Amino acid sequence: MVKEECKALLDALNKVTACYRHMVLTIGGTSDSQNLREELKKTRQKAQELAVANRNKLTTVLKDKTVSKEDKAEFERLWVIFSTCLEILEIDMRRALELGHEFPLNVPKKHLIQTGMSGGTSGVAARAMSVQNMKYEAERNIDVMDLKDLENEINQVGEMMYEMEMKVNVPQWTVEAKQDPGAELKSTISVGASSIGMISVEENKSFCDISKVLAGIVFSAVLIIAIVLAVCVVKLS
Amino acid sequence: MTVTRLDQGQRYRPRMAFLKKIEALMMEMQSPDTGIKTQTQTVMVASIPHAVTGNDILQWILQRLQITSEEALHLGDLFVKYGYIYPLQEPKNLTLKADGSLYRFQTPYFWPVQGWAADDTDYAIYLAKKNIKRKGILEEYEKEHYNMLNQKINYKWDFVIMQAKEQYKAGKERKKEDRYALDCQERAYWLVNRTPPGMQDVLEYGVDRVTDPNENKKNTMEAYRREIMYYQQAIGKTRVKSSVSLGGLVKYSEQFLSNDPILSGCLPSNPWITDDPEFWDLNAKLVEVPTRMRVERWAFNFSELIRDPKGRQNFQLFLKKEFSGENLSFWEACEDLKYGDQSKVKEKAEEIYKLFLAPGARRWINIDGTTMGITVKGLKHPHRYVLDAAQTHIYMLMKKDSYGRYLKSPIYKEMLAKAVVPQETVKKSTGLFGRRHLRSSPSPIILRQQEEEAKAREAATTVDITQVMSKLDRRNQPQPPK
Repeated sequence: MVKEECKALLDALNKVTACYRHMVLTIGGTSDSQNLREELKKTRQKAQELAVANRNKLTTVLKDKTVSKEDKAEFERLWVIFSTCLEILEIDMRRALELGHEFPLNVPKKHLIQTGMSGGTSGVAARAMSVQNMKYEAERNIDVMDLKDLENEINQVGEMMYEMEMKVNVPQWTVEAKQDPGAELKSTISVGASSIGMISVEENKSFCDISKVLAGIVFSAVLIIAIVLAVCVVKLS
Repeated sequence: MTVTRLDQGQRYRPRMAFLKKIEALMMEMQSPDTGIKTQTQTVMVASIPHAVTGNDILQWILQRLQITSEEALHLGDLFVKYGYIYPLQEPKNLTLKADGSLYRFQTPYFWPVQGWAADDTDYAIYLAKKNIKRKGILEEYEKEHYNMLNQKINYKWDFVIMQAKEQYKAGKERKKEDRYALDCQERAYWLVNRTPPGMQDVLEYGVDRVTDPNENKKNTMEAYRREIMYYQQAIGKTRVKSSVSLGGLVKYSEQFLSNDPILSGCLPSNPWITDDPEFWDLNAKLVEVPTRMRVERWAFNFSELIRDPKGRQNFQLFLKKEFSGENLSFWEACEDLKYGDQSKVKEKAEEIYKLFLAPGARRWINIDGTTMGITVKGLKHPHRYVLDAAQTHIYMLMKKDSYGRYLKSPIYKEMLAKAVVPQETVKKSTGLFGRRHLRSSPSPIILRQQEEEAKAREAATTVDITQVMSKLDRRNQPQPPK
């Protein structure tokens, strides 16, 4: 029961971290906007709540002496996943702070980098917040005002990580991964029809295929002509 | 936590000031009035904006910075190599082509930052994502990295896979064109930060720094006090005027120019070029007849004479005639003590004392009273450098006194006359199967044995004035009655 709850919480945190990373990638590019900054703020706060919840749950379990050995190993594995996730989150938050300072949105002289992005990130944010549509309600200069909050939150996360280090004694290197290398390939994620990326990036491959197909067609045509001629010759003689 | 957080080993990346400068230029390039004009790139059915041609970039740099076109091309090339701009048509070829090939700007998250190196965990996540997208088709070097990372950060692997899946799913929430552009960006970033084999790794910066360039200095009293002390010591250091040191350097270069085999060529020929080891044979340590250049070099200054074993041999002959051979022998013995085995230091020091320094010793050297006192006191607890004072005294004595006379002596002049000037060899053409007869030089062990035997022979046959005098004394003394 506890295990499932922990896993669910961890999955949620993982999802929010991935979405946050995705959004931080777009700061400073042409998809950047006040909405993005607001999305960042909301995602970040959600991530922090989840992190605190995760930590509380996992620390209570790890401190519990009545847990069996396999269960303990499992919880330690979850703890390692959690701490790595938190590290990634902290790094992204720091990057967001730096980039936020470098690319304030309302300054006319500072132009956004033309990265080729044209769409927005509202879908990603909605996924992070687990809502259908995002509502934007912040003030006009949230990009500047949010930075102070961001700094405080980074400090908070840093302190939390330090506390975790000190209080919970889980040697990371003893944890063995459950998944083998290449496990992601067995996943049921549909890759299929969506990406134009696959089509153009695999240019070389497709050219090879086309040339192979052409060669096959030519060869079979020649073969058919040869057979027809042979039949004609036989018939005429 | 990962070890990087608790790194107190003081390894910091050095400050890369040029990164900020490139960033400033990048931001200027985006200006709608003074920046670069963009086009759209059509990929299959989609069109992605903000593509720039290489030529446009070059022209913009030329116009903005007012430099030569070579420099501009080089600078633009660096922009591409450091990952600020990435090519669209040949993704792996990170060079700037001054024609119509298309490029795009990299998103600021993926710009190289001095404080952060590209993380292994991130790379693992990227490879896992690529695995998912391309159904397991990775490049060779990527596969190697993947397996290596799997071993290295195995405990994080579950997280890596989870995060890769989530990032992939999150990416799907965006437009097709944006997803394509994001793929290109990420690929370009990892091409720069984890270069494939054969590509130059531009982000390599050499040795890490000991101090953190990003650290904010604390303005405490203690810090200021230490700074003041440091600067006071720095002022107090003795310095040589640069005119003096440069003059010395010029003089040295002029004097030794003819002896430098790279600058002035060497006779008979450079062995590395003509495969002819005659040069090394002629300049062997204790060759019978040295070359003329070598003998002339002994006249430059005393240290040149002393550091050449043949020169020392010749000098020793001269000193024997002047009955001061023990000086050079003592100097050589001290060198042997300084650079020899630690285990033999004590016994060597005692032998030297018995042979050279003790009152009535067989080869007594003439040093003044204070130095003798210091040396005898030091010999109670012998170490490598215990005879330094005496050795320096003897060195100066030889330098100021004997050296001048040596250069005018017939022994030196004879050596100079005997010295050979090797002929320049014509480069022999190799036969079809150019097999050259390789002569191997004698092994260093054998050479050392020969040296030791020579020294022993010399020690046995050396006749010193004190011995001679003592013999004469004994002869003159009346025979004791039988």
